[in-house]
Amino acid sequence: MTMAAAPLADLQHEFLAQVLDDDTPLPAGWGARHAAGMAVYRNNYRSALIDALRATFERTERWVGADAFGRAAAHHVISHPPAGWTLDDAGIGFHSTCAQLFTGDPEVGELAWLEGAMLGIFTAADSTPLDAAGFSAATAGFGEDDWAGLQLQFQPGMAVGQVEYDLRAIWQHLADEDATGVDVTPLDQPMACIVWREGERSTFTLVSAVEGRAFAAMQYGMSYGDLCAMLSDELGMEQAIMQAGQFLGHWLAEGMVVGLAR
Amino acid sequence: MRNIKPFGGFGLGLRRSHYADFLDGDVPVDFVEVISENFMVDGGRPLRILDEVREKLPVILHGVSMSIGSAHGLDMEHLDRLKRLEQRIDPLFVSDHLCWTRTSAHNSHDLLPLPLTEEALEVVCANICNAQDHLGRAMLIENPSSYLTFPQDEMREWEFIAEMARRTGCYLLLDVNNIYVSAQNHGFDARDYLAGVPLDRVRQIHLAGHTPAEDGREIIIDTHDRDVCDAVWDLYAHAMRLLPQPVATMIERDDKIPPLPELLAELDGARRIAAEAQQGAAA
Repeated sequence: MTMAAAPLADLQHEFLAQVLDDDTPLPAGWGARHAAGMAVYRNNYRSALIDALRATFERTERWVGADAFGRAAAHHVISHPPAGWTLDDAGIGFHSTCAQLFTGDPEVGELAWLEGAMLGIFTAADSTPLDAAGFSAATAGFGEDDWAGLQLQFQPGMAVGQVEYDLRAIWQHLADEDATGVDVTPLDQPMACIVWREGERSTFTLVSAVEGRAFAAMQYGMSYGDLCAMLSDELGMEQAIMQAGQFLGHWLAEGMVVGLAR
Repeated sequence: MRNIKPFGGFGLGLRRSHYADFLDGDVPVDFVEVISENFMVDGGRPLRILDEVREKLPVILHGVSMSIGSAHGLDMEHLDRLKRLEQRIDPLFVSDHLCWTRTSAHNSHDLLPLPLTEEALEVVCANICNAQDHLGRAMLIENPSSYLTFPQDEMREWEFIAEMARRTGCYLLLDVNNIYVSAQNHGFDARDYLAGVPLDRVRQIHLAGHTPAEDGREIIIDTHDRDVCDAVWDLYAHAMRLLPQPVATMIERDDKIPPLPELLAELDGARRIAAEAQQGAAA
C-alpha cells in the first residue's frame, strides 16, 4: 500500500513506524526532501525521550557515565516505545533495562528503580499523615477484633522494593553533580527500600527485608491480624506481635500512614 | 461554545528554572503559559507552585499531547485530566497543536505533521469539537512547524486552518516562528500564510528561536533554544499590523533557558514592535 492511497489511520501507523525504526522503508514516491524531513522527526523522537530519561535518572547517569547511560537510554527507547500521553511513562521499566544491560553492576538497576519511584511519589496525590496522637485517638476504643481487622491507608504512590546494595550511601555519594560511580559491595543481607514523601520532598529509607514484606502486604490491603499471622510463620506469634507493633510505630513516625480502615 | 474575548498583553512560559523568580517577586509580565501535561498530575510541588503563580497572574494552559489529528480520536484519560486542571486553574486560554502525536499503539511525544486532506480536516474538526464540548470552552489551536509535506495534500495549511476554525469555532494561537520555519522548509511565502488565516480568530502569538539550516541539512528546525531571529521579528511586526484585535504575545523558550532578565529584555522587544504597529495602524 502506498501512503497516497492510505486512509489517515493507516498513514499514521505507517508514519510512526518509520519514526520509531530507521530501517522501515519510506513510502513509494518519497524523495530526498521527504527523507530529510523524516530524519528530523526520527531525531526529535529519540532525543526527546532520551532527554526525558536523563532528567528523571540523573543519579543513574552520574553513576554509569554519560556515554553508557546514553546507550542504555537509546536501547530502552527502541525496545520500549512509550504508549501513554505523559513523558514520565518513557521511564517505565528503565530499571529493568539497566538490570539487563549492566549485569556486572547490579546496583545500577536498583538505583534506577529508586529514581523512578522518587519521581512517581513526587507528583502523587497530597495527603495528611496520621500522627501518633491521631492514631491513638482513632484506636482508643479498639477491641481485639478491631485490631485484628485494622487496615492501614498509606500515602498514595508509595513504593517498596528489595535491594542488595546500600542505596543510602550511593544516593548520598551522587548528590555531588560531579560524582561518578565507585566500586561497591553488596549488603550483608538484602534489605527493602521504602519510598515516600515528606511534605513536597521525595525520600526513602532502607529497612529489613521482613519489614519490607510487611509493608508491602499492608499496602496491598492485608489486615493487622493477618500481618501478625504472616510474621508468626517466621518469628513465632509473641515475637510477631511485638515486631508488627514496631513496624506500625515506624510507619506512623515517618508519616507514611494517612488513615485507618476496618 | 463560549466566545474568547481578546486579551492584549505580553508573557513568558513558566519554566522550572524561573519558579523562584515568579514566586518571590513581581515579574513584569501580563500572563504566564505552562505546558499543561507537566501539571496534569495528582499533587505535589508542581501543582502548589502553579496555584501560587495563578494567584498573581493569568495562566494559559498549553498542551502538547492532545493529538487532535489522531485518526483514533482523543485519549479521554488525558482529556479528563486536562479538564480537572482547567477547573482548578481557571486559565485564560487552553491550547494545543494542529498535529498528531500518537497512534492506538504508541506515542511519539513529538508534533507530527498531518496530510492536508479533507479526511484529516474532518478528523481534526471532530476531535476539536469533542475536546471543546468536554472542556466546556473554546480552545486555541496552534499552527505547527513541519519538516515534510505529503504528496496527497489537497490544500494549503492556511486554508486547512481557516476551514478548521470555521467548522469548530476554535480560536488560533499563531506561532510566527512556526510559520517562518515551515515557509522556509516548504517554499511558500509567510505573508501569504498570514493573509490566508482568519486573523479575527487569533488570540495569542508565540515567538521563538529556531536552528538555521547548515551544511548537509537544508531543513530549519523549531528548537526554542535561542533568541528570536530578525526575520521572525519582521514577520511578527507584519502580523501585528494586520491583526484587527489585541492578542497575547509570548516568548517561548524550552531549551538553553537563560536567566529571566534576558527573556524579559527580549519580551520588551515584542512590546516595542507591537506599539509601533499600533501607532502605524492609528496613523
